[in-house]
Amino acid sequence: MNSHEVTIAGYLLVLAGIALLQVLATRTRAPIPSLGDLLTRAMRSRTGRVGVLVAWAWIGLHFFAR
Amino acid sequence: MQVSRAAPGPEDRQTQNRGTGSGGTSTGCAEVAVPARPPGRARAALAGLRAPVVWVLLAIAYFTAISGKPLDGVLMLIVAAGLAWDAGRRALRHPGSESPPVARPARRPGGRRRLLIMSALLAGGAVYAAVVGSFSRYSWPATAGIIGLGTIVVTIGWHGPLRDRPASGRLPVAGTLAWVAVLVAGCLWELGALLQQPSLTTDSYGHPTVSTLTDPVLANSPGRAVVLLGWLALGWYLVER
Repeated sequence: MNSHEVTIAGYLLVLAGIALLQVLATRTRAPIPSLGDLLTRAMRSRTGRVGVLVAWAWIGLHFFAR
Repeated sequence: MQVSRAAPGPEDRQTQNRGTGSGGTSTGCAEVAVPARPPGRARAALAGLRAPVVWVLLAIAYFTAISGKPLDGVLMLIVAAGLAWDAGRRALRHPGSESPPVARPARRPGGRRRLLIMSALLAGGAVYAAVVGSFSRYSWPATAGIIGLGTIVVTIGWHGPLRDRPASGRLPVAGTLAWVAVLVAGCLWELGALLQQPSLTTDSYGHPTVSTLTDPVLANSPGRAVVLLGWLALGWYLVER
């Protein structure tokens, strides 16, 4: 495996971790919140709400804006 | 006649001290010795720096700026400063508790009207994605489209949720930590790839960042439009939280 493949495998591992946690949260009784619950909880405060929305805006800026 | 007054809050005290100059020691007020304090805005900004979100935004601003996107960095810096000032102002007004955003009264349009609004939003989103996606990446028109919509959404979010939501209970600690571990690992993996590039502004085939991996998809208009639709859908999902 070269470094390119190792790097991509790392990203895939993180994605698999996210999918696994989401499945455990929604399909089993494991004490794991879903990503939606996590975001909802984070957005209960004003700073958390603005922080999450700014992170969303940053994604758009990062991929499309100068 | 007795007049009942609430105890003055920090901002009220600030107002009362106005005009006294250098800590309330000006002529005519010599009998009241008020210790010197930083001005209200500076104190608010300093108090706001206790919010972890502000530090996360400052870190994003720094890394964005040094990786060749100064405009993004400046925008993040402005939001971080505004949030610090706002959070600090609130902390000084209500010490010991961060006030949750004020929820707007639940006014969900029903049936036919809701369908119309949803259809208009979907059509608007599709037009937006097609138009902004038709501009080349990093061009000024694309930048204006993204900054314009981002500003609107963040401003809406700053004023609170769109409708009242039931208070969520405490999240399970272990499960929450598992999420934090996975998400932080993802960020560190991306940061590792970024730092292993020949320079922060030069892509590397050996250590591709997410941006490098998405370049082929974003190289053409249809690809950009589809990604923009996904970005809009995510934004709508978040605004509804």
